[in-house]
Amino acid sequence: MNRNLDRVRNIGISAHIDSGKTTLTERILYYTQRIHAIHEVRGKDGVGATMDSMELEKERGITIQSAATYCTWKDHDINIIDTPGHVDFTIEVERALRVLDSAILILCSVGGVQSQTITVNRQMTRYGVPRIAFINKCDRTGANPYRVTDQIRDKLGLNPVLLQIPIGLEGDLEGVIDLITMKALYFDGDMGEIVREEEIPDHLREEADARHEELIDAASMFSDKLMEAALEGTPTPDMIRDAVRTGTISLDMVPVLVGSAYKNKGVQPLLNALIDYLAAPGDIDNKGLNLDNNEEEISLSSDPDDPLVSLAFKLEDGRYGQLTYIRIYSGTLKKGDTIFNSRTDRKCKVGRLVRMHSDEMEEIQEARAGDIVALFGIDCSSGDTFTATGVSVSMTSMHVPAPVISLAVVPVDNKAQVNMSKALNRFTKEDPTFKSHVDPETSETIISGMGELHLEVYIQRMHREYDAEIEVGAPQVAYRETITKRAEFNYTHKKQTGGSGQFGRVAGFIEPLEDGEYEFVDKIVGGSIPREFISSCDKGFKKCLQKGSMADFPVTGVRVIINDGSSHSVDSSDVAFQLAAVGAFKEGVSKAGPALLEPVMKVVVEGPSEFQGGVMGSLNQRRGLIVGTFEEGHYTVVEAEVPLSNMFGYSTVLRSLTQGKAEFTMEFAAYRQIPAGLADEVIQEAKKRRNP
Amino acid sequence: MTRDDFLQKNPLRILNLDADGKAVDQRMGLVIARAGLGKTAILVQIALDSLLRGKRVVHVSIGQNLDKTRTRYDDVYNDISKAYDFENGVTIRDEIMRNRMIMTFNESVFSVPRLEERLNDLIVQDIFRPDGLVIDDFDFTAADKKNLSEVHELAKETGLNVWFSAVCHRDDPRISENGVPAPCHETDDLFDTIVLLQLESRKTKAERPGNEKVIGLNILKDTIGGTDSSKILNLDPATLMIIRD
Repeated sequence: MNRNLDRVRNIGISAHIDSGKTTLTERILYYTQRIHAIHEVRGKDGVGATMDSMELEKERGITIQSAATYCTWKDHDINIIDTPGHVDFTIEVERALRVLDSAILILCSVGGVQSQTITVNRQMTRYGVPRIAFINKCDRTGANPYRVTDQIRDKLGLNPVLLQIPIGLEGDLEGVIDLITMKALYFDGDMGEIVREEEIPDHLREEADARHEELIDAASMFSDKLMEAALEGTPTPDMIRDAVRTGTISLDMVPVLVGSAYKNKGVQPLLNALIDYLAAPGDIDNKGLNLDNNEEEISLSSDPDDPLVSLAFKLEDGRYGQLTYIRIYSGTLKKGDTIFNSRTDRKCKVGRLVRMHSDEMEEIQEARAGDIVALFGIDCSSGDTFTATGVSVSMTSMHVPAPVISLAVVPVDNKAQVNMSKALNRFTKEDPTFKSHVDPETSETIISGMGELHLEVYIQRMHREYDAEIEVGAPQVAYRETITKRAEFNYTHKKQTGGSGQFGRVAGFIEPLEDGEYEFVDKIVGGSIPREFISSCDKGFKKCLQKGSMADFPVTGVRVIINDGSSHSVDSSDVAFQLAAVGAFKEGVSKAGPALLEPVMKVVVEGPSEFQGGVMGSLNQRRGLIVGTFEEGHYTVVEAEVPLSNMFGYSTVLRSLTQGKAEFTMEFAAYRQIPAGLADEVIQEAKKRRNP
Repeated sequence: MTRDDFLQKNPLRILNLDADGKAVDQRMGLVIARAGLGKTAILVQIALDSLLRGKRVVHVSIGQNLDKTRTRYDDVYNDISKAYDFENGVTIRDEIMRNRMIMTFNESVFSVPRLEERLNDLIVQDIFRPDGLVIDDFDFTAADKKNLSEVHELAKETGLNVWFSAVCHRDDPRISENGVPAPCHETDDLFDTIVLLQLESRKTKAERPGNEKVIGLNILKDTIGGTDSSKILNLDPATLMIIRD
């Protein structure tokens, strides 16, 4: 293991579905000699790619869980997280980006910037992750890396700079021209493992010279030394590399490389670029929260000699118990150390410390700042911070979206019940967007998540990994209740049944809150409600948010303002004011035009233009609102907002409608009001479910 | 303040009335200017005026992406709703979104027949029935008069209010009798209303001494409203919002 922090790279690989992430990772592992044979994602050998370690992933040819792996290249340690491409699993992508220092954004040279590319790019921007772009699949018919580079500029708003151009395209792809060294690179051998450097072919000389000039112009913006050298006509490759590195790490430039991972072309130069231009842990200013000082943001040092601060970002159930992936931000973690979980305030001892290579592992004695490693036998949840004893730091909390879909799961027998509990316990710890609870009225176990596929994957994992036979109910949408207008309330709670009575009067008004769930405003003057009972009112209102008056769905988007009330010196109490607030809320809501809200998804369908009319029709039939379309060549993107309840089974419909040539992604957009007629149906349905 | 107050005060109202002062919603309009003077901003304000009056608008954007076009609407709407302090601003924004559809095309794939096909898809399948159509950055140098006449016919048949924007160039001196610069000088007869945006110096009033550069919105032609060409509006150079002189 390298001791120098400058020689560590923690990178993620993100892209749209099917852009070749796993295939590229497989090549990287092969060329760095971590594996000795290449298995394709949907290969005939049936082995599957090394990074797709879960059975289901191998079967479906998609990557669900991000497997962490480690390799070395030119005396640098590289930790790679292979992230999933499907939008339903973006929490995995977000978590990976949270702990990484930089990323490779893979784009398909035919599809270019697609919907999911935009999503992952936005996530990278949110976490300030420097990136390089790799335009893959240059061997495919219709490949055009120049068009994709323009799209990176226009659609992603980045500053892409080509560091290479391809030698030939589509079936004629032979290699790449390095625009820094101005050499042609060819990839010989059965697996492209021998990189042969040649002079640039004559027919590409002129274009390469022009692109080289463009590169120097763009890079010299980040280096005065390069600018001066360029004016004198003496820029060296090292000067250009330094300038590109500066621009990349400051997020002002995205170096663009080209190739075809599947055809083994352009992967080794990408590995070189990863070392040359992507950030080392010390280049990034990582922030933590100082728990001793009102969660003030502090910079973490990346110094292995400082006290330990680390983040558990992923849990997995391994053969030997819970495996916890952690990123160390500062300090050193040694086998046998006692570490402190800042969320639970508990100490624990580091038993086994391992470096992960997909589902194989390598035992190590210590890990230092900048490293990504895994621990055994530590009981924690994803997102927990581990520190040295006496350090009061927590890592910034991650953005976790709320689940939008749920369904009931019923175990078939007692054994299945036990196994299902184990599985749910594990999954909810691993994935903060996956939740489970028991419905108190129907006693059914309800699981909730970010989409149909998200839940489907967990249901299959229960079968396969935990042998839990379960029956699954129909998916249920997470409806909400709200109000549509301002209304006043003035409610008195009075009870006099012998003994000490109860008395409290609460008055004020309730109004829609446009951006938020609930807000309580205290405008009481003159002590009409004593100070000690103000929080009781708030508590009472909050209780009412759990179940609305229309169909017992949670209430959201409500601001409650109290401005008057009265109390009794003996009979007023915390309970009396809570009950008065409950009555006041009910009175207010009944007059404030209560309405039902439903989750609406942003749906993006991409496919050949000839199907545009049909696609729009299919979305329209699902109560979809077509936001817009984008046509480019023979390719069209339709963006719409569609109620989640109408999206069940859409993948089948789209497949038959477009002969399987279109694909769609969806993510939660907002809660919107349900039309009155449909609201009645939803209410009746909810009542029936509760009282079958 | 309500949206009706805004609609009454909107300086654009002078483009929306006929000679008798009645509201008119069917016409072919053109906004022409050199690059960077605010053509898109004017089209978005024309579209928003319609949207706020409950009309449905298709915005066709050539060479721009969906997000950028949407952001233009959000920005202009936010400026208006802040300036006029709309009650229930979020509800109005949602309503605008429901009544607006954005179609974006890469320059190389856009053609009038393709646009007609797309509009037909929307209307026949009852997905979206527009009352208005704005076409931003239409390439008049590449379009023939026949194609434009077809749009004109389509507008008449369907009662659509259609507005185009076009770029003119400093180094092209050609001009029509009505003062319409190239590349629209030979097709100006197809339009009912033509607005030219120009950077102008003006002698200003006492509170704004000296010469000041403003973007003037000159009405070159208005066969429906018969608007007096002396009625000139200006664009606020900072926000590109239309203001009265």
